[in-house]
Amino acid sequence: MAEKPSDPLGVWRDLLSQWETSANAIANKAMATDQFSGSMNQVMNVTLQAQQQLGEIMARYLATLNLPSRTDLASLGEQLAAIEARLGQIAGILERQAAAQGTTRRRQGARTPQAAKAPAPIPMPPRTKRPPPEGP
Amino acid sequence: MSSQTASAPDLAERVRLEVERTIARSIKGVEYIASPAPALGVSPKDLVHKDGTLNLYHYRPSSDEIYRVSLLIVMATTNKGYVLDLARGQSLVEFLLQRGYDVYMIDWSAPRPDEKRLRFEDYALRFIPECVRRVQERSGEDDVTVLGYCMGGVLSVSYAALHAGDGIKNLVCFTTPIDFSQMTLFQRWADRRHFDVDRLVDTSGNVPAELIFRGFEMLRPASRAVGQVQLWDNMWNDEFVASYRTFERWGNDTLPLAGEYFRQTVKALMWDNALYRGTFEIGGRRVDLAGITVPTLHVTAEHDHIVTTDASTPLIDLVGASDKQRLVLKGGHISVAAGPNAHKRLWPKLDAWLGVRSV
Repeated sequence: MAEKPSDPLGVWRDLLSQWETSANAIANKAMATDQFSGSMNQVMNVTLQAQQQLGEIMARYLATLNLPSRTDLASLGEQLAAIEARLGQIAGILERQAAAQGTTRRRQGARTPQAAKAPAPIPMPPRTKRPPPEGP
Repeated sequence: MSSQTASAPDLAERVRLEVERTIARSIKGVEYIASPAPALGVSPKDLVHKDGTLNLYHYRPSSDEIYRVSLLIVMATTNKGYVLDLARGQSLVEFLLQRGYDVYMIDWSAPRPDEKRLRFEDYALRFIPECVRRVQERSGEDDVTVLGYCMGGVLSVSYAALHAGDGIKNLVCFTTPIDFSQMTLFQRWADRRHFDVDRLVDTSGNVPAELIFRGFEMLRPASRAVGQVQLWDNMWNDEFVASYRTFERWGNDTLPLAGEYFRQTVKALMWDNALYRGTFEIGGRRVDLAGITVPTLHVTAEHDHIVTTDASTPLIDLVGASDKQRLVLKGGHISVAAGPNAHKRLWPKLDAWLGVRSV
């Protein structure tokens, strides 16, 4: 019976895979403790507090320089988004109206300039597909 | 004696192969660094609706005839949808198009600062219903199949439970968490005694993508380093490198989460386990999974380290449908749906289940 020749790189790959599994398991066990959760969240709270204080200082500094803060810009963005949403709604209403008018005119045999300019809709195949019959 | 004579040429061949691979690693390593990131999301599509963080895409059909019922994919809120459309031959979307499905996808962009107030109410009562309405309008058919991936599945089941009879024909979920008490590590990290979610959301607005990414990465802290070593080892293998790069790019493309939506996720789902207990309320209405009566398929992964099988298993028991199935497949959270193994394991089964229910 022929023995399988040794493959040092194959052994190394197996070891790497085993190390990954055990390292993940050990780390997961450590991270599932109360101490880890407490410490992790403590670090996050300190970071957030620092971020909040820095944000307040920067806002005051920018106000002194008569410059907008991030909050001011976000607020402007919010207003622009509201306008954009409203425009979207109006465009939707107009599109639906145009589509309805186009249907009526087409029925009457007319061709509007808008209809001539409108992009051609993607041709959709018929919705007649049936699932293939099950095999024996 | 015979083993020794047989192993000598074997050894020589192996050495020759390793020398070749080492040379190839050096050449391709340079190519790897110099070449641009791979193109992803390859199937042709049109953006048919956009509302802030929401993008609704319609993929262009690639078969001569399509099923009557369209398919609307709801992507997870943490990641980009191109994971389901990675590359030619590795794309679930491409596969579905070739099999005759009319495919739409809700894909999310990073929420803007002003979208920090988005809640489950916005996702399940505004975004998804609006997209279903648009799919119905474009297809001319009332029936739509909704397919949700991970947290997209949570949104989909919430929508399905609250919109019974609104045109949803079938519900498919991939790796969808229901019993959040079984997401052990996330539970530990979000322990209400230590984790001040209010402070995080009130300070950050939207929850940074970096935090979400690190959260996922910490579930398997050694895997990133091992992945780098495996990349070097397989640098000679173009297929491996291409696959590694696509998944790495996708993994790094984690999205921030809307602040209020994150707060709700932590308080209602993680702390109170409200979806599993049947006490989860959206817009003052209880999300009762027993109210889902449409045919339901839930695909879960045996080695899912993000949504453990214990967390995802209860869905099929809780839904009220008589036609329901849980499909447990080999693979992880991502590989069950995307990549070469999904091509063999999931996609044909999904097609077989969905095809007969899409006429």
